[in-house]
Amino acid sequence: MRANVWSGRNTVQVENVPDPQILNDRDAIVKITSTAICGSDLHLYDGYIPAMKKGDILGHEFMGEIVEVGRGVSNLSVGDRVVVPFPIACGNCWACQHELYSVCENSNPNAGLAEKAFGHPTAGIFGYSHLTGGYAGGQAEYARVPYADVGPIKIEDDLTDEQVLFLSDIFPTGYFGADLCNIQGGEVVAVFGAGPVGQFAIASAVMMGAERVIAIDRLDYRLQMAVNRAGATDIINFDEDPDIVEQLKELSGGRGPDAVIDAVGMEATHGHGVVHTADRLKQATRSESDRGHALRDAILACRPGGVVSVMGVYGGLLDKFPSGAFMNKGLTLRSGQCPVQKYLRPLYDHIKNGDIDPSFVVTHRLPLGEAPNGFETFKHKQDECVKVVLKP
Amino acid sequence: MRFPRPIDATLHGATDYTVGAMLTTIFPKLAGIEGTESARQVRVVGAIHAGYSAMTDYPLGVVKAIPYRAHLVIDAVGAAAIAAMPFVTGQFRKGPRHWVPHVALATFELSSLAMSDPTGRGDYHGNVEAVRAANSETPARKIYDGRAVVAPAAT
Repeated sequence: MRANVWSGRNTVQVENVPDPQILNDRDAIVKITSTAICGSDLHLYDGYIPAMKKGDILGHEFMGEIVEVGRGVSNLSVGDRVVVPFPIACGNCWACQHELYSVCENSNPNAGLAEKAFGHPTAGIFGYSHLTGGYAGGQAEYARVPYADVGPIKIEDDLTDEQVLFLSDIFPTGYFGADLCNIQGGEVVAVFGAGPVGQFAIASAVMMGAERVIAIDRLDYRLQMAVNRAGATDIINFDEDPDIVEQLKELSGGRGPDAVIDAVGMEATHGHGVVHTADRLKQATRSESDRGHALRDAILACRPGGVVSVMGVYGGLLDKFPSGAFMNKGLTLRSGQCPVQKYLRPLYDHIKNGDIDPSFVVTHRLPLGEAPNGFETFKHKQDECVKVVLKP
Repeated sequence: MRFPRPIDATLHGATDYTVGAMLTTIFPKLAGIEGTESARQVRVVGAIHAGYSAMTDYPLGVVKAIPYRAHLVIDAVGAAAIAAMPFVTGQFRKGPRHWVPHVALATFELSSLAMSDPTGRGDYHGNVEAVRAANSETPARKIYDGRAVVAPAAT
């Protein structure tokens, strides 16, 4: 089969690789009909997530048709149309029993590596380095899905692929980010990053009843999408004015947002070129792994007693964490890789009910063979790119 | 194989100012040429470098009067001039201290140039035209033309 493989920093290529096979009774093989490039794939592409090997198949957002199931999978049949969540979860361990699927204790065969990096093992993830198990990803024609009786959700409606594909990651992740903010109605919520996860965090905050949702980015076209499509009420373009904290205060009666969502992560850009360059140099020389501009500003901007929800991916260590602001303002910091399995059914219902149409983020639909150009275009924000869907 | 050009315009600018500042201040002492004609030449070169950097149209430029590509050409010509200077003036006969710093500076400048992307975008090596041709979606339609996809919660 053909698959998009990692070949080194800033290089991916579509190659012929062996077809996946059933290895365990709880496996299924999915013939992929749609897959996507995620913002967090760029951290692999840029070489900031360790433990990638040449030839690793990328991709953790995919859906398709079941073509083979193991003997232990009774809830799926050949021909079923499924969306596959990005965390691989056994369903039986303590974490899964508590709906903490993204820290499943059994699904990461390289748990020792993750434990060294994070203190505890985390779940396996498709196509996301050997730190998360070294599983082959879904930017391919076929994929093996372990624990297929737990993860995939069957799609039994005539919804298009692009309406349901993002149940695999970015819709639940954005929703999770808003959910952690404990939105009751009437709040001011700021969202750093108007990329795909940020768009869904904005839309989710609107769905939950936030009164004002402020989108923050440096790319005007993404801010336009946030306002026109996702429901943001206000925007901040920090390329025009890098003092995000002050602007957020102005937009929230001087108090600061009730909750701030970081949908940026480890490769943040700062509005001041010199500050950005300093952090970029530190990251390039590996004296820090994460550029933390967004998280720093999120903590500084959030009102006392507020919630900072971190959905952007961080990989290791960042400098200048504002611990004083965090402690003295009594902030609540919440985060995590999204336990997608927990949100699949309710969000699928939202889509079926017409509460949201997730396909709005798709700006590029390309054949799988164009994946290398798709990565470059997405990474460098060319051609007003927000989200790339690949068709194998 | 594609020659890597990871230095974008911002990183190039940061290097320009750093090098300019070093040449005009501590470099002559570090190179052991303080008080010589070479030190004066290096300081002038550093000041000129910082000066046209401030006038370059890149993110760290102040006046933005010189196109980025023209800046790179000036860098290349300047590097050649620095390397040639000790040999043109004859000062190279006074010993290595009077020509090695010049050649080292020129080598650094040319290496930096070789790794600088002339488009200023850094390591972008995609083919955006191929993407446009293959894309069966229209970005502008999704960004600017569609309706809101989510209804606010009932209050």
